[in-house]
Amino acid sequence: MRIITEAVAGSLESSDLLVKVSPSRDKTLEIYVTSDVIEQFGTQIRHVVDDTLKRLAVTDGLIVIEDKGALDYAIRARVQTAVLRGAACKELNWEQLS
Amino acid sequence: MPAELRFHTVHASESPQESKQIEQLLTESDLGWDSRVETFVVCRKGAALVACAGIDRNVVKCVAISPAFRGTSLSLQLGGELLKVAMERGHFHLFLYTKPDNTVFFRGWGFYPLVEVRDKVALMENSPIAIRRYCSDLRALRKHGGKIGCIVMNANPFTLGHRYLADVAAESCDWLHVFIVREEASMFSYAERYELASQGLSHIKNITVHHGSEYIVSRATFPSYFLKGKCTVDQCFTAIDLLLFREHIAPALEITYRYVGTEPACPVTSRYNKDMKHWLETADSRSPSIEVVVVPRITLRGSPISASEVRRLLQNKSLQEIKKLVPETTMRQLISRFGDQRRETEMTDGDDH
Repeated sequence: MRIITEAVAGSLESSDLLVKVSPSRDKTLEIYVTSDVIEQFGTQIRHVVDDTLKRLAVTDGLIVIEDKGALDYAIRARVQTAVLRGAACKELNWEQLS
Repeated sequence: MPAELRFHTVHASESPQESKQIEQLLTESDLGWDSRVETFVVCRKGAALVACAGIDRNVVKCVAISPAFRGTSLSLQLGGELLKVAMERGHFHLFLYTKPDNTVFFRGWGFYPLVEVRDKVALMENSPIAIRRYCSDLRALRKHGGKIGCIVMNANPFTLGHRYLADVAAESCDWLHVFIVREEASMFSYAERYELASQGLSHIKNITVHHGSEYIVSRATFPSYFLKGKCTVDQCFTAIDLLLFREHIAPALEITYRYVGTEPACPVTSRYNKDMKHWLETADSRSPSIEVVVVPRITLRGSPISASEVRRLLQNKSLQEIKKLVPETTMRQLISRFGDQRRETEMTDGDDH
């Protein structure tokens, strides 16, 4: 899956996160995470993001995440939504989303 | 039960009553009303206006929150609402003006500092990497060693004056980088201006003609420049544009000299040139000074050759007189566009040199 258009999901509010995706210029996958709790949970957040992207088979795009202390399943859902919007995906493969 | 917070959008020109309330809130926060802001996202609690955030295309400014609501979750809701409005209008890459003390606050909105004029104003953008990417693209085009010069021009349209300035600069430099202002706010389209400048400069061997960007003389970095026909100088944020150049663009290309023509006609450009010496050479900055070289304009029968003069002559249908002011490449374009059936409607334009 490739990010072909700019898209956003989530919010900036506490316990949520904002995910912004945009097309890559050089066909790479770049991920930037900032978080209020990066010291304690940075590795875990990154793990969830990487895993979500991998399951969706995202090969290229720029993913920017502003995390406000969201729980894992919120991170997963927001990343999925932003990616599906950014990839202009019409048909869902539910197995990838589980 | 306390009244709920409600967010909605206000179009300044259509709602004088609400505009007045917004202005009051801004005043309370020590901020001025900005007539360029066409849309505000506002928050009300009951009848009271408790927060606002303005957006002028892709530039966010005039953000104010009533003191009682600062430090609450309202601010992040406001940021989210604003982002939604911007996205709906197709603006994904956003800039934001604020006071330097508030940059930490706007980190919470996902904005990152770009450049700051101490104690006055800071410019931020909503990407952690956009400026770094842009500069790394520029670095790929850098020429090492010797004296590296730069000119930023709108070239609306490209004249013998632009060519002369570039000739003088290229002569005294080992390499010359020329940027064409990208913003579409001129009589001639960006594509046309870039094309004519490239053609008009093709005789120079030690030159790169770059595409402009949002980081060089754009609506985001230098809003006053694009106020059509007004030449307002009171709110010139020339410092932001010039420090951005000094701290990001110049280092990427190892530029140490900036060339500029004297400007007798337009107050905004004239002010910009004057400020250039201060912000590029003497002002405090984390980056080394860039020497500003002011080159007197060439004249024709005593009057300086300028793009604004060319546009004035076009307006007066004096194509023949323009011949002496522009290179052949520009002339060909003018004849093909205005030679036979001139389109009167395109004859209005704002400031340019």
